[in-house]
Amino acid sequence: MYTMIQAGSMGVPFTSTLGYAGTDILERRPEDFKIIENPFDSQERTVVAKAMNPDVAIFHGLKGDRLGNVLVQKHGEELLLAQASRRVIVTVEEIVNSVDFEDSDGWFIPAIHVSAVVHAPLGAHPTGVPGLYDADEDRINEYVKASGTDESFGKYLNRYVFEVGSHQQYLELVGLRPELEAVAR
Amino acid sequence: MTTGFDLTIEEHLAILMSREVNDWETSACGALSFIPATAMLLGREMRAPNAEIIILGSRDYSPFVTGKDFHFHAQRGQLDLFFISAIEIDQHGNFNLHVIGDRDEPDVLMPGQYGTGMLYYAVPRIVMFRTEHTRRSFVDQVNYVSGAGTSPDGVSRRTREVKVITPMAKLNFNQESRIMELGSVHEGFSVDQVVENTGFNLGIQGEIDTTPQITEEEVHTLRTVVKSHMIDSETYPNEAANLIREP
Repeated sequence: MYTMIQAGSMGVPFTSTLGYAGTDILERRPEDFKIIENPFDSQERTVVAKAMNPDVAIFHGLKGDRLGNVLVQKHGEELLLAQASRRVIVTVEEIVNSVDFEDSDGWFIPAIHVSAVVHAPLGAHPTGVPGLYDADEDRINEYVKASGTDESFGKYLNRYVFEVGSHQQYLELVGLRPELEAVAR
Repeated sequence: MTTGFDLTIEEHLAILMSREVNDWETSACGALSFIPATAMLLGREMRAPNAEIIILGSRDYSPFVTGKDFHFHAQRGQLDLFFISAIEIDQHGNFNLHVIGDRDEPDVLMPGQYGTGMLYYAVPRIVMFRTEHTRRSFVDQVNYVSGAGTSPDGVSRRTREVKVITPMAKLNFNQESRIMELGSVHEGFSVDQVVENTGFNLGIQGEIDTTPQITEEEVHTLRTVVKSHMIDSETYPNEAANLIREP
């Protein structure tokens, strides 16, 4: 998957990767992975992964500004994903006047890769944002349990997604109060 | 446990795995890898003071900015040893990190292989481990091949040594026959017990060695120097506090 997104971000049709030959990952997805002859060395064959360019990428960040510049958590691959995707929606904890390229709280992604910024405090819930708030273990366990069958997962989606009118309502439903977030920081 | 040290499973595996860490080599493990992290730190204390250690996600032992940096480091051939924990391991050296149960109707869908299907080709020495030695873990054929023991013709592979360490025994993957064989049995267990708890033919021929005994020095170093270093350096501090006993 990483290799596919990597190729997508580079704007090339595929990239080569080491390993994976003989795994069920290749066996199950013959449209995405192939073993080809190395065009520079006919003695060698290599796995190649097809480029993936998602229609939409959605991820959560720390800060965003009116121009669409965002700051995301460090050490992730959001920039690569944004570069590979046709549309990019970033939910953020906070809207600021101007996201600073040098802001050491996170990593900068320039607006040129971003389609929309959405103000969604606590928007990573039930996962967390290091330094801001922890993952909500109880709710994650609930999600994991619900994902066991289509029926229970359908109920979960209804309760937490489809029947919720707004982000504010979601936060109330799970017992969170976003106005406290500013105080906690 | 029969070694007389009242070892936890984690301590026992970490000590056995620490013996695979070599001086002047780069050894690495992924995130959520308390046992290999402990093994590498113990190995450095016991036998390999100049070992380069990479523990992904740690504060002091992860020189990489993103996961990609680590994976590309491995692809370039700059790792010597990597530890892999698998759900199932089979006779042909395949491992499964994807599903528990049927691959189309799994009981549990796991997070997946996170690059280990690549690392299993890119790294010269692989040590796999499992905290249980049972027929459900050591199977004839894994339910999902996340990492492949055998490479198709022409595909380059650096991996030249694969070992499996369990609470009962050490298995070696025969690089010629591409079959997993019984290497040695730990003190306190019999060959019969290992056979009984392994779901495939272990290719036993002749006498099987006993794994070299756990030494007092290994246990003491683990429970003193390594334990306190892990707590101080915030390298799995909670696990170190709870799963490594007091000296």
